[in-house]
Amino acid sequence: MNTPRNLLSRPWIWGFVAALLVWAVIMAVSGQGGGQTVSLALSLAPYLVLVGLGQMLVVTAGPGNIDVSVGPVISLAGFVSVGTSSATGSVVLGILAGLAAGLVVAAVSSVAILGLSVPPIIATLASGLVASSATLVIADGFTALPDPGLRNLLNLRPLGVPLLAIVVAALTVLAVLLLRGTTYGRSLTAIGQNTRAAERAGLPVVRITALTYLASGALAGLAGSLLATYIAPTPDLGTRYLLDSIAVVVIGGTLISGGRAVPAGVWGGALFFILLDGLVNLVGWSTAAQNLLKGCLVLFVLFLAGGGSRRPGAAPVRPTRRPSTTAALPTPANTGGTTHG
Amino acid sequence: MDVDKLPAGPHAVPPGEGRSPSTAVPVIVATNVSKTYGRTHALAGTNLTVHAGEVLGLVGHNGAGKSTLMRVLAGLEGCDEGAVTVLGREVPAGTRPREQDFRGVRMAYQETSLCPDLTVAENIWLSSRRGLPRLRWRRAAAEAVRLRLDEIFPGHGISPRDRVEDLSIAQRQMAEIARASLASPLNLLILDEPTESLGPDAAQSLYAYVRTVTARGGSVLLISHRIREVLSVADRVAVMRDGSVVEDLPAHGLGEDDVLLLMGAETAVRGATGANPPAAPRNAPRADTPVVAELRGATGAGLNGVGLRIGKGEVVGLAGLAGQGQQQVLERLWRPVRRDTVVHGTRAYVPGDRQRSGVLPLWTVAENLTISAMRTIARHGIRRPVHETAVAGDWVRRLSIRGGADAAMADLSGGNQQKVIVARAFASAADMVLLDDPFRGVDIHTKTDLYGLIRAEAAQGRSVVWYSSENAEMAHCDRVYVFRAGKVVAELVGPEISEERIIAVSFAEGDQPPPAAALASVPTEPTSTRSVAAPAAAGNSAGEHRHD
Amino acid sequence: MTDALTSALPTRAGVRRSAPAAVSTIALAAMVVLCASLQPDVLTVPGFSLVLSVAVPLIFAAQAQMILMSIGDIDLGIGSFVGLVTVIAATELVSSPLLGTLILFALIAGYAVLGALIHLRRVPALIATLGASFVWLGLGLFVLPTPGGTTPEWLASFGAWQPTSFPAPLLPILAVALLVYLMSARSTLGVRIRALGSNPTALERAGLSPLSSRVAAYTAAGALGVLSGLLLSSQTGGGDVSSASSYTLITVAAVILGGGSFRGGSAVPWGVAIGGMALGLVSVTLSLLDVATNLQSAVQGGIVLAVLAGRALIGRVLR
Repeated sequence: MNTPRNLLSRPWIWGFVAALLVWAVIMAVSGQGGGQTVSLALSLAPYLVLVGLGQMLVVTAGPGNIDVSVGPVISLAGFVSVGTSSATGSVVLGILAGLAAGLVVAAVSSVAILGLSVPPIIATLASGLVASSATLVIADGFTALPDPGLRNLLNLRPLGVPLLAIVVAALTVLAVLLLRGTTYGRSLTAIGQNTRAAERAGLPVVRITALTYLASGALAGLAGSLLATYIAPTPDLGTRYLLDSIAVVVIGGTLISGGRAVPAGVWGGALFFILLDGLVNLVGWSTAAQNLLKGCLVLFVLFLAGGGSRRPGAAPVRPTRRPSTTAALPTPANTGGTTHG
Repeated sequence: MDVDKLPAGPHAVPPGEGRSPSTAVPVIVATNVSKTYGRTHALAGTNLTVHAGEVLGLVGHNGAGKSTLMRVLAGLEGCDEGAVTVLGREVPAGTRPREQDFRGVRMAYQETSLCPDLTVAENIWLSSRRGLPRLRWRRAAAEAVRLRLDEIFPGHGISPRDRVEDLSIAQRQMAEIARASLASPLNLLILDEPTESLGPDAAQSLYAYVRTVTARGGSVLLISHRIREVLSVADRVAVMRDGSVVEDLPAHGLGEDDVLLLMGAETAVRGATGANPPAAPRNAPRADTPVVAELRGATGAGLNGVGLRIGKGEVVGLAGLAGQGQQQVLERLWRPVRRDTVVHGTRAYVPGDRQRSGVLPLWTVAENLTISAMRTIARHGIRRPVHETAVAGDWVRRLSIRGGADAAMADLSGGNQQKVIVARAFASAADMVLLDDPFRGVDIHTKTDLYGLIRAEAAQGRSVVWYSSENAEMAHCDRVYVFRAGKVVAELVGPEISEERIIAVSFAEGDQPPPAAALASVPTEPTSTRSVAAPAAAGNSAGEHRHD
Repeated sequence: MTDALTSALPTRAGVRRSAPAAVSTIALAAMVVLCASLQPDVLTVPGFSLVLSVAVPLIFAAQAQMILMSIGDIDLGIGSFVGLVTVIAATELVSSPLLGTLILFALIAGYAVLGALIHLRRVPALIATLGASFVWLGLGLFVLPTPGGTTPEWLASFGAWQPTSFPAPLLPILAVALLVYLMSARSTLGVRIRALGSNPTALERAGLSPLSSRVAAYTAAGALGVLSGLLLSSQTGGGDVSSASSYTLITVAAVILGGGSFRGGSAVPWGVAIGGMALGLVSVTLSLLDVATNLQSAVQGGIVLAVLAGRALIGRVLR
């Protein structure tokens, strides 16, 4: 079970391996202990993981399913959340408002995809355009400030591990349980493998797909609410998250053609991307080099891993049937120890 | 068989070139060919020879290795051991077959190898571009395919400018056969289940064309589950079993039962051929059976005033020629959105096209099997794995699915995959199970298992609605509705059900040929003795045995 | 009777297929009428040229997207790629025309290599082109970190060309549509490319290489992307790597509006021209209608959805 060979066949391992490599390079370059780097990465990664988990669910729903509205949703939710919490004085209401904003946008996408049979990429693009318009309208003369209490909470790092990272890790475990242990998760995975077969097997395809887009919208809304409190609400708060969320899902080992979700892998991919940003900043490279490096690495990982066979019958790695959740729990230090050991 | 009266081939691709210079050299010889996929030995030292100017029939169960052998003979795959010799040139094992060696070998695939978004002419260019000019290729391809279609399937109704996706299934099959036959030279034409989606008339004219090909010196390799057709058309019959050719006999004097025995169907023959009444007992339909589902004058979407009734614990068959509205009835019962359909209780569906609408390829057998049952087993949306495992294990044993519950679905043979998909439906709590011709191309042993299952489940109060293109299967039903042009033309109950009867009522209105494929220029009476292919054309008919 | 039936069938299917482009044409006409009623100058040659010019580079990029969608791929890097080309056009192509031209050809070759790798490594194009978009963006920022530069004389004068007899932008729009039509619908290369999107197994069984089909499609897409970038820089007069970032998704919308599909297999060059013009006209209409800039993207999104909804409805009626 824990032999290196077994571990290497796990699809989620590669993101962590890449993250570890970058971490090692950072330590070598900066000449310092890596604890602080990890702590910083862990405080930034959870936002990307939240969005990535939503994107992962959508991608799992099968070929063509993608949510390109996550970027605009994050920006919109940031304003809505900060605005609401400062207007009502309630942080909880603020977060709920941000979440609701994400749900509304996702509902528009879902209706377009399922009711009007608009391809997902176009439907989420269109609803994203509507969301970004709403963002710009709200941003006009926006003066509210993020709640300092929540900001402090987000900055809290007991034992160097950010509180949010722990919460999101717990959410990731929940996602694993959701996918394996609930009828929703199983139905989603079945739909992603073969939508027609899932429909003939009596699964409620429309309801499951709609729920999936709503989940992605809600997670993006949540990420936006927290991110706007952590940094500040800006109209381009979510811009980078569109491409990053997709990249993180792929690096994490989720099948891009659907039918297999790897929640733990999202963490590996997110840490990899965040650490990479840190490395490039440390070395003092320009944004040009940063993009170039990111692009080359994504392509490298992608072409190295390959997509396996295009035939549906021959998946490169079979999903583990009843894996222990402890092995799937993503704590980078833990994984690192196992791979090196 | 009047070959001379058939129109000559198109000028762009002269067929006459195919005449073999020397009959001594066989067209293709497979010597000790072996092929292994993973742990499966698809071919184990097979020998096969096709001589010039003959029709060789190839029969065997699913998984006997027919498709692999064909792929090797067509040069799509190399073999691991042994050699394939095409017109005297040997293609050794272990090498990727070169295209030029197999140029005269053409194959018409069952699932067709046409591009749906391209026009018929463009598809012809793709596969027969060597015989076409570089300029004005479009016109030349259109002309060639039009002439060939006219030759094989008079009155086909296909225009070379039609997109393949706009054609009916029968027309696609015709275009596929025409595509395969357009080659110069045409040394060997491999036909893989060519009549599966063709109407009887089209099948008849196809077999007439097969004779034309051999008269011109080409050879034909015919693969079909319809053994009666094979026997009436082929000169020789090769029987495959477990990855090798076990018998190679002249077709003359061979009976269907003999072939079935050679295929390894010792015990199953009697029940499966439908020559005798099925072993399963029939429920006498009672008037007081509660009605589970009902169609009242269902019209629209391919139906024209269909009325039928499904009782509890009844096995109801939907019979008739393919595409007469049976699948639309299943669709209505599966999704009763219109007011003319009343369905009480839950339903499960067994699709016929397992790859497209059945298999969940990334999962194991157990996962595939329990996906429908999962929702009733679960409590508040949370799965109960222990219960699921028990259900899966139970069904794997009951249908003796090879590989067990933990095998990967994608690794299973077609027959076993079909078992899993049937088990999926019956493992659910559904009150009514809809079968959409699920046993096409499934071997006889599997079929016999599944027929037994259907009867057993019906005895426990489950209703089964069963559409089948094999009329013999209808013998396992309590009641059969025979369809024609979207209408129920007959309701047969209990002892009235027989292949002969179904065929008779399927053609009852007789003047016009029913499927779009069948067209007026060929006489439609199945009793016609004008052509060699006549018994074959009747397809499943129990009509004439050629050796009696 | 049979003849009547068979000749009626494809017509109906044909109508269904051209319905999306027809809906887009109606939308286009409606917008032209609306613009003309708000601003009669739109109907003059210079006015119409002005309105259409926005759409020219977009349509070139959309044709590139269409070719990739016809093999079942989607290019999420086309926006950055076009931006990168404008940067090259505004810098290297001025300072050293030969080197600049070589770089542009190298970019096309880059697309070909990308296509080959996507095929050989069997990775989804969606993700690979997404990764490539970072590369294009990074390269563009390397060459020109901030928007600027000047386009070569000849390019700028082409952008400024204003014949009085007909709207100048129509010429490149029709020319590229015709070119792509001849390539994708009339040539055997087009058959091979569409066959890859329609049924790759059939292509392989016919003894043709799917790899070369894919590489050909990517090469064509790269070339059209370069042309799109040159045209864009001829209009803006400079280079900016992010000037075309919206193209990535708008080009997909243009293909869909023109009747293309994500499934692959069909080529709709004329539909793309119409879809691209319609999308280009949306922003003009909105500014003429005095819609606040903030709301423009929402309206754009709404229009795309509305057109697709109309198309879905028509498709259902015709089924």
